[in-house]
Amino acid sequence: MKKFLALLLTGAMTMSLVACGKQEAAPSNEDANAPAEAPAEEAPAEEPAADDAAAAPADGAVAGDITLWTYPVGKFGDAEAVGELVAAFNQKYPDVNVTVEYLDYQTGDDQVTAAIEAGTTPDLVLEGPERLVANWGAKGKMIDLSDLWDADTTADITANSAAVEAACKSSDGAYYEYPLCMTTHTMCINQELFEEADAMQYINEDRTWTVENFEKALQALKDHGVETTGVVYCGGQGGDQGTRALAMNLYNAQWTDAGHTEWTMNSAEGVKGLQQLKDWVDAGLLSSDAGIVASDEIQLFANETIAMSFCWNAANQLTYAAQTAFTPYAVAFPSEDGVPELCGGIWGFGIFDNGDAAKVDAAKAFIKFVCDDPTQGPESVKLTGFFPVRSSFGNIYEGTEDEERMTVYASFAQWLGDYYNVTLGWAEQRTAWWNLLQQIFGGEDVQTAADNYVNTCNEATTAASN
Amino acid sequence: MSKNSNVPARSKVLSRRETRTAYLFLLPALVFFIGFVIIPMVLCLITSFFNYTMGDFSFIGIENYVKMFQDDIFLVALKNTILIVVVAVPTVTAFSLWVGASIYNMHAISRSFFRCIFYLPVVTGSVAVSVVWKWMFNKYNGLFNNVLTGMGVIDQKISWLGDERFALWCIIVILFTTSIGQPIVLYVAALGNVDPSQTEAAEVDGATKFQTFWKIKWPAIMPTTLYILIITTINSFQCYALIQLLTSGGPNHSTETIMYYIYYQAFKLNNYGYGNAMGIFLAIIIAIFSAIQLRVGKSDN
Repeated sequence: MKKFLALLLTGAMTMSLVACGKQEAAPSNEDANAPAEAPAEEAPAEEPAADDAAAAPADGAVAGDITLWTYPVGKFGDAEAVGELVAAFNQKYPDVNVTVEYLDYQTGDDQVTAAIEAGTTPDLVLEGPERLVANWGAKGKMIDLSDLWDADTTADITANSAAVEAACKSSDGAYYEYPLCMTTHTMCINQELFEEADAMQYINEDRTWTVENFEKALQALKDHGVETTGVVYCGGQGGDQGTRALAMNLYNAQWTDAGHTEWTMNSAEGVKGLQQLKDWVDAGLLSSDAGIVASDEIQLFANETIAMSFCWNAANQLTYAAQTAFTPYAVAFPSEDGVPELCGGIWGFGIFDNGDAAKVDAAKAFIKFVCDDPTQGPESVKLTGFFPVRSSFGNIYEGTEDEERMTVYASFAQWLGDYYNVTLGWAEQRTAWWNLLQQIFGGEDVQTAADNYVNTCNEATTAASN
Repeated sequence: MSKNSNVPARSKVLSRRETRTAYLFLLPALVFFIGFVIIPMVLCLITSFFNYTMGDFSFIGIENYVKMFQDDIFLVALKNTILIVVVAVPTVTAFSLWVGASIYNMHAISRSFFRCIFYLPVVTGSVAVSVVWKWMFNKYNGLFNNVLTGMGVIDQKISWLGDERFALWCIIVILFTTSIGQPIVLYVAALGNVDPSQTEAAEVDGATKFQTFWKIKWPAIMPTTLYILIITTINSFQCYALIQLLTSGGPNHSTETIMYYIYYQAFKLNNYGYGNAMGIFLAIIIAIFSAIQLRVGKSDN
């Protein structure tokens, strides 16, 4: 016995050398500003255990303790703002105690993954369809919210954008997200610098431009002495919606097929766009950098090291307004015909299936209050800094100090493109994408690299579908 | 007679009591160790034989281990990890020994100053250290590019962390700076504990400084060297935080390490079983390297 204990303790000491090695958990280089897209799923959906069919409960009929985890979508990362929202909810539902925990895009996914495996998921989570529908929902971790999507609600949301409803619904017809807000991702230029370089002439009044004019603008900037016009960042997945939109729009490529079952950036249009980016980089009109991600690129833009950012939206404009000594001028991504197809962002709530019907009722009451209440709903959307998914809310920024800024960004909604982020295999796609950029800027043949990228993504999609 | 027969009995009781006390003191640590290291390791081993994902848990035998050696990215990660170990361990050990030998007999204030300087990156934390290094490596306004272009060494600014030729070496440089603190402190302590009468006797007998070091001091600090070798090897094999913070394994997998790839597979793709299989493989590799170092160290001793 003594020998055994001594052996165990000796083993413990030896193993502690291994265990005590530096294993500090570190944040990944995710988006700092623009909310990031999510990992995808790899297993078929399972039936949630709790009662999905239960309708949203009546006012005051619910009670209990629920937990909300929020990603930092606008001020949903601000404890004071969310505290006020919860206080407003508690005026109507005094018997529901809401505990809020704040995630970030660096470590949030890891925290949720760990919680899922440990069985300690929150009741509510605020994020987008990439995570709620295509990842956690598809893996059977979420409650079907079909009962919240009644006919009036659906009509109200689809009147604004049919893409929102499609994005919140899984392939098996279950709704794993109840949406609150949406936006379109754009790019942005330094207006004063463009004016000095006489490059504003290449941008249309509606803030679109053609590939030809974009190239002329790059040349004008270079001729004006701008060392680095823009950077195609590819150091990680943070803000990859920007580089995707850039490459996709140039020659009007499609990222996936219409059914979101196959990846298609190795098409002639996709490869032509990628080749164009490489040509611009080789010619010195643009730069590529595998050492930075979007947050770094935005910072370079804000401190006027570069003349444009490929990762921008309404919230970024607000965030960086105080930091920039120039006018950030949002523009659409250039396309061959001048008609862009912009990537969108949709954020809303999902409910984890924790097997407690009372908590589900309380969580649904919270969602309905935050998203649909005639008074609170528009205020909740304002917290995000984006636009309501409900058409009945109208222009919520009318008469506010944000009206002018938000009117500009609202104008981009007409070019909102397909929400392909819900395609299965999304997580693998994200990594494969920035690796593809690294490969082509490193000198690999564009078509070959694009084919490899598509094969990797399609394999991931097939694996996730089985 | 009776008195004599009582002595061993009492000694046995005392000894047993002391042993029991010792084990009781160790018990709390043992409980934590079993709970947070042994049990997770066993679970890691078991689940490595399963297709364990967020939606599946089915037995697949050694399929994960077979897949590992057919996975090009894993093989790149293995190569990079071994390169980091092969470069970092000898350089860290040699540099630490050199610094330790240079400062151990200095005045206490000077010695403490140097110890603080070299230990600072260790206590600063990986995140803060990485942020500073990331700025220094920055292509557009980083220190290295500004200095090198200013001196005319390079014409074009280099994306140090974004260029396959340099990225892994940049990681090794950072790892080096964060790894030398503890070995230096240990060497200073070990060299200070070498019996001065032995070195003095050797010098009186006509030994050169090198002979004194090699024949007297080196054997005396061998246990410390062994510990440093093993702990540096383990830390180098487990290089993860720097990769996560600075390169995400890029560009083009040139900084991919096994630890980062385990994280990627487990947390980004939810392939827990596959990640665990790689973890077991890494543990075996570390154990083999450590055993070799122990054996070589003992035979040298």
